Amino acid sequence: MSQEHIRNFCIIAHIDHGKSTLADRLLQLTGTISDREMQAQVLDTMDLEREKGVTIKASAVRMMHTGKDGQEYELNLIDTPGHVDFGYEVSRALAACEGALLIVDASQGMEAQTLANLYLALESDLEIIPVINKIDLPAAHPDDVAEEISNLIGSNPDEILRISAKDGTNIEAVLDVVVEKVPPPKGDPDAPLRALVFDTHYDSFKGVVAYVRLVDGKIAHQDELELMATEAVIRPVEIGVFAPDLQATKNLSTGSVGYVATGLKTVNESRVGDTFTHNEQRAEEGLPGYQEPKPMVFAGIYPVEGEDFDDLKEALEKLQLNDASLVYQAETSQALNFGFRCGFLGMFHMEIIQERLEREYDLDIIVTAPSVEYEVLMKDGKTLTIDSPAELPDEGDIEEIGEPWMEIQIFTPTDYYGAVMDVATKRRGIYVSEDYPTQGRVQLNFEIPLAELIVDFFDQLKSRTRGYASLDYQFKEYRPEDLTKLEVLVNKESVDALAAIVHKEHAYHKGQALITKLKELIPRQLFAVPIQASANGRVISRANVKALRKDVLAKCYGGDVSRKRKLLEKQKKGKKRMKMVGSVEIPQEAFLAVLRLGDD
Amino acid sequence: MSSFLGPYSLYLHIPFCRHKCGYCDFNTYAGKEDLQPDYVRALCAEITQFAEAAGERLPLHTVFFGGGTPSLLTSQQLEAILSAVSEAFELLPDNEITLEANPGTVDLASLQAMHAMGINRLSMGMQSANPAELRILERQHDFDDVVQAIDWARAVGFENINLDLIFGLPYQSIGDWQRNVELALGLNPEHLSLYNLTIEHGTPMEKQVGRGLLPEPDPDEAAEMYIWTMQHLNAEGWRHYEVSNWARPDDNGEPLACRHNLQYWRNLPYIGLGAGAHGFIGGLRVADVLGPGVYIERCLNGALRKFPRTAATASVNEIGPYTEMQETMMMGLRLLEEGVSSSDFEERFGKQLEDVFAEEIAYLRGLGLLEKHDDRWLLTGKGRMLGNQVFMQFV
Repeated sequence: MSQEHIRNFCIIAHIDHGKSTLADRLLQLTGTISDREMQAQVLDTMDLEREKGVTIKASAVRMMHTGKDGQEYELNLIDTPGHVDFGYEVSRALAACEGALLIVDASQGMEAQTLANLYLALESDLEIIPVINKIDLPAAHPDDVAEEISNLIGSNPDEILRISAKDGTNIEAVLDVVVEKVPPPKGDPDAPLRALVFDTHYDSFKGVVAYVRLVDGKIAHQDELELMATEAVIRPVEIGVFAPDLQATKNLSTGSVGYVATGLKTVNESRVGDTFTHNEQRAEEGLPGYQEPKPMVFAGIYPVEGEDFDDLKEALEKLQLNDASLVYQAETSQALNFGFRCGFLGMFHMEIIQERLEREYDLDIIVTAPSVEYEVLMKDGKTLTIDSPAELPDEGDIEEIGEPWMEIQIFTPTDYYGAVMDVATKRRGIYVSEDYPTQGRVQLNFEIPLAELIVDFFDQLKSRTRGYASLDYQFKEYRPEDLTKLEVLVNKESVDALAAIVHKEHAYHKGQALITKLKELIPRQLFAVPIQASANGRVISRANVKALRKDVLAKCYGGDVSRKRKLLEKQKKGKKRMKMVGSVEIPQEAFLAVLRLGDD
Repeated sequence: MSSFLGPYSLYLHIPFCRHKCGYCDFNTYAGKEDLQPDYVRALCAEITQFAEAAGERLPLHTVFFGGGTPSLLTSQQLEAILSAVSEAFELLPDNEITLEANPGTVDLASLQAMHAMGINRLSMGMQSANPAELRILERQHDFDDVVQAIDWARAVGFENINLDLIFGLPYQSIGDWQRNVELALGLNPEHLSLYNLTIEHGTPMEKQVGRGLLPEPDPDEAAEMYIWTMQHLNAEGWRHYEVSNWARPDDNGEPLACRHNLQYWRNLPYIGLGAGAHGFIGGLRVADVLGPGVYIERCLNGALRKFPRTAATASVNEIGPYTEMQETMMMGLRLLEEGVSSSDFEERFGKQLEDVFAEEIAYLRGLGLLEKHDDRWLLTGKGRMLGNQVFMQFV
């Protein structure tokens, strides 16, 4: 396909504004997928994605469409992840496009999340094509929404497309407007190859499959290729396009979107943001924007039963094949024995990994409270980097602890200005500035410690703004802070996995709240269990989990032994999911209790 | 047919009540009295079908009319059921035939008829002597009704009477409970079933507690009540032979236990007939359909099925030898004096109990929940309080 006939675009939409439904309709209309094969949300292949309604991994699909001029066009739709944890992945996917469909719900209007993504798209110089969806809804007010969009991006309100992805109204026009408005890819077909890797997945036959957008040059399937950042040299197992499944081709031309099956065994050698070039005729430099994956949040993952350690290791290896941003290394906890210290992009990423280990690999695991990475300057002049409270050296040897601070941007309707201020400042956030990008919306900028951000910040922000606020963050710097380790003793033994690093000012309050929470979460055992929190060798709070006094089924239910058995099985199962620490059974929730201490 | 030679026990379910109590999650229905005559015909039909499928008259040593409220049936209806039973089974001479009755649903004449037709044990749903507690439980009687019913029962010749009581009720203090027990003892029953209230899922009481209309009972107070009850009844000469059951010793010093329930706890075969009834026979756990309407329909129109099924059988589960061994432990350890005999176990399963459950026994012994007395494995004093922690190891 000639460059002139290629269009690469993505879809920007708030959750629930109908991105997936529209994508499905486009696939059906272009005959990319038959009605029979149609399964809701084709692009979101993971079960988890379907459930959460959020795209976790990017993906791409090629559609053929005959334009109004009677010519055939290749339309590449690149789907982007929908969560702030994956900001880098989103930016690389956007870099592979020239245009973006901005989908706005006709009954809801523009929402904060959409705005954040819209800014990202504008930064990437994409042509924005606004589309008003759900005009079939009784509550639709498309005229007002058109006015709002027009104020924001300056388009003519009368020219904005109005569609219903659900009942199929005006879908064809969407394809036509993509052909008309999205510029064809620029790129030089004769220049040395530069192809952007915007996603990868692992295939047990083909190795790592890199999703690529050719910027300059072409690829033929016999070519020897080099990844410029990792310097891996490969001869592709196969190259091809997304139609929508992988379909092998002989060539990929300038401007097009496709895949390169690398045969590589780990995603570490083929990373998102890297650039493919020809080994023989190298480009001078790689495409801009490449970053090494940088985990922000760290947590221990331990098998409930020690014997599952090897299974857990294998599962993490497999997950990492598809997810270069997941890092892990073996660690030992006094309380939890053998497990792994894992690094994640953010809390959402961590939850996804936890759920996949439990569901796809059927593992009973304990995840400890997440921590950030601290820089500890020692009195002897050395600097340690630690990502676990257990690693914090003796207070006496520490000169200073550096804590990671972030810059955050929160978009919200102005009504929630006060609520957002409250949420941020209560968590040591420092107000920096505010902008008013559009009528009724404000962007508030703060600096805040990352440690505060990972402790239910996003949940609080969402609940206090009824879901309207969106959040974006970037690393700012390490700042020296007055921090201390909050230790927890269960049955008089210090449990390293329950420890936390907290600001000294908050140690007392947090220690009390944590003990109260733990008392609720640790079930009664056969003996009384004292629990204590201490900081700087001083006990801050203590409580007793009372001994279980009576636990016996009273009645026989007229010979229904199966029912009795089931009740006991249920009770036993609950017990099995708890981790034995010393002689005390501690449930998973207790290890995350420090995250749920609430606002007060 | 299994190698078991008997005798068997027979449970008959009567799923009717005048009112369904707020705590009850049994298979019973209020307001369906008009189904009673058909239900009795269906039950008789099922009894006959069962015997036909068995191809022989199995020997029975106990029959138990449970519910629901079996005392809502007329004497004629009970008579019809019992005569179907004696035709279908070989009712052994030294039998125990129990009927569950609610105070307020019996009178002198009905009790007279019951006794005359061979029912020789009454289990009376007293639950409490306290009017406020009876209201919370939504019972339809008061303590006077219990006194009256027991008087009549004694007058017509019942010599084996059980009283059911519940402890650990919302608002109930230990003093309240002690008064209930004293008043029950004043009626000179032979047997006491004292159950700790379980707030069952889906019951009106669960909803009331959930909404804060009733306080959730304090489990520690219930533990205190249980401990007091054990001590007090022990001092009065009662035998605590099962977790929730106490019996007076008979002339030979043996507790006058409920022989029907012993069959369950010893994990021996029993037949369950009637809507939602459960049976365990020929290595199979079987259960009948729950709804009385469907039950009637099935029994009156259904064809003969393979033993031990009847037209009303809704589920059949085969119990493998290992599961049967586990269940023998799980049920048998509820018997506080008898426990599980090592030699009986070996005779029954051809395996050493201590080998099969070596790990479980070591763990439970270590916790001080299980001990061995001569040939018998028994719960310790601590184990009685924490039975589930023990039973759980055998599922």
